Amino acid sequence: MSRLGLRARITAVFALGALALSASLAFATYQLTRESLLDERERAAVRAAYLDAAFIRTGLGGEDPDISAALQNLDTGELRRPLVRRDGQFFARTADDGLTSSIPAALQRLVDEGTPAVQRVPLRDSSAIVVGVPLPAVEASYYEVSPLTELERTFGVLATVLGLVALVTTVAGASTGWLISRRVLRPLAQVADAAGTIASGDFTARVARDNDPDLDKLAVSFNRMVDEVSARSEADRRFAADVSHELRSPLQTLSAATSVLDRRRDELDDRTAAAVDLLTDEVARFETLVTDLLELAKSDRPAERRPTDVVALTRALLASRGLPPEVLETTCGSAVLDVDPRRFEQVLANLVDNAAKHGGGAVRVGLGVENDRLVLEVDDEGAGVPADERELVFDRFARGRASSMRGGSDGTGLGLALVAQHVLAHRGTVAVLDRPGGGARFRVELPGEAP
Amino acid sequence: MPRLLIVEDDDRIRLSLRLALEDEGYVVRDVSTAEEGLAEHKSTPADLVLVDLMLPGMDGFDCIRSLRRLGDVPIVVVSARDDTHDVVAALEAGADDYVVKPVAVKELSARLRALRRRASGSGEDAPKVLRFGEIELRPEAGEVLLGDEQVHLTRTEFRLLCELADQSGRVLSRQQLLDRVWGYDVYGDERLVDVHMGRLRRKVERDPANPAHLVTVRGLGYKLAP
Repeated sequence: MSRLGLRARITAVFALGALALSASLAFATYQLTRESLLDERERAAVRAAYLDAAFIRTGLGGEDPDISAALQNLDTGELRRPLVRRDGQFFARTADDGLTSSIPAALQRLVDEGTPAVQRVPLRDSSAIVVGVPLPAVEASYYEVSPLTELERTFGVLATVLGLVALVTTVAGASTGWLISRRVLRPLAQVADAAGTIASGDFTARVARDNDPDLDKLAVSFNRMVDEVSARSEADRRFAADVSHELRSPLQTLSAATSVLDRRRDELDDRTAAAVDLLTDEVARFETLVTDLLELAKSDRPAERRPTDVVALTRALLASRGLPPEVLETTCGSAVLDVDPRRFEQVLANLVDNAAKHGGGAVRVGLGVENDRLVLEVDDEGAGVPADERELVFDRFARGRASSMRGGSDGTGLGLALVAQHVLAHRGTVAVLDRPGGGARFRVELPGEAP
Repeated sequence: MPRLLIVEDDDRIRLSLRLALEDEGYVVRDVSTAEEGLAEHKSTPADLVLVDLMLPGMDGFDCIRSLRRLGDVPIVVVSARDDTHDVVAALEAGADDYVVKPVAVKELSARLRALRRRASGSGEDAPKVLRFGEIELRPEAGEVLLGDEQVHLTRTEFRLLCELADQSGRVLSRQQLLDRVWGYDVYGDERLVDVHMGRLRRKVERDPANPAHLVTVRGLGYKLAP
């Protein structure tokens, strides 16, 4: 599961905070308003019910009173519904539409016992206030049902309005969080940009100082770190350059001097000629070794990618190694890809040379593009690489057991290590596989663009 | 026999290169400082110059610039430094080629031969005058005019322009240009082409940043647009 980004989390926290605050305020407002309105309404209902009850009591005062007439004469406005209960029977103005059943039994009992009572009850899909007034003088009880439909509608509107306010507040909270997080994260974004620039080898990048003392601390310590890394990298670079110079200079003398000897080989006696041959071969090997070592030492630098026609480059290299053009098997005609041409050329050259040394020569060089990745395959028909050596062959100074059995020892043991390093600099992969039909297949995959 | 001047401060390298290149048929003079090299070249102009970059006193870059001011003698840098920065700076200063020590005498000799070959003129059966907008190229006379003004190109720059003009309108890859101009038969250093193209543009384009004729074709190479 991937975690949310810091900025998204800050925004979410602000949104949740705003939501919690506005929701609880809205809830409290709703409850308080609702209670006070209901209380007021209840008091009004009780007052009205007592007045009406007094009126009914007067109406029922005489001999053989007409309850219906008394009820009809009662002025209750549109909403209040009067009921009279006498001898266990309800009397109403109109036919019973569920009104009597809405009066709870407990309330009836209380009223029957002579206690006035009031209760909120559900009535159809709304609610109502029922007020019960005992009328002992006329052996009856008076009930008045005041539906709260209108009040409920008001509550509905209030709830909607408060809900909207909470929503708006939440959105405002989220926006504030988004803006604040941008402000807060800007220094981090600057640091990230600077770090990216530095990672690509440009040590001049620095983070701008900030007025805020807290943020300034970050900028200052980051810049100090860059200074130190840059100084160390410069020292390393200078050391590598010095070593390089000190190794390359005597080799130049050796190389030129042996070529003078080699040119006169025919004038020498057999023993001296054999010695000159040894000298020439070993100087050449030493040259390759030093060049490879120095190359390896700086191979952790980032790849210098630029658009390169890899097919043309491969053709040129195969021609220079004396391989027939049919060896190249390409599925992409001419492919221009962003790679480091110098490094790609070394990868190819070292794989082809490796095939020549340990596998009897490259029989196929495959070049293609699969899913935006450059795929290079170099096949040979040698003994292949045993499964337990497939990782090891890319180590420095590793030489395959199979090859040492064949007595091949003219390599520097660095060729495949360099291949691995160059591939790594492109964030690609390299592996040894079995070639169908026998032999080894080295497969390199390079992403076309820097990720 | 071609006269070769070696400017190299390391006595052993200087002597070994001298012996090996004399075997290759050059008349070699060798000096250990840039100042001596310049004086030597002024008194007896060489056909080719090998220069080391790290020299006591005047360094190799200044030596190349001073030699360039004197004429268009082919200059090859032989240096232990292989940083892109150094390569580009040396080529920008006016060197024609750059090799990193240790270089095999055979390879060095092949490169010197290639430089000599083109330095001694390339006008095979090329037309007398070629025009590309304001650029007028006279391959046989070895002259280039921008408008009415004569432009001074080094031999490498001139050769580069001629190769592009020869295939006018077609794209030549860096590798093809290396083959034709520097005579490399193996995969060579494409920086050579890029730096020389930059220098050529500064000389024959009115707006080198937005070249009208010497056009880069992304990923493929260069072409000369009419």
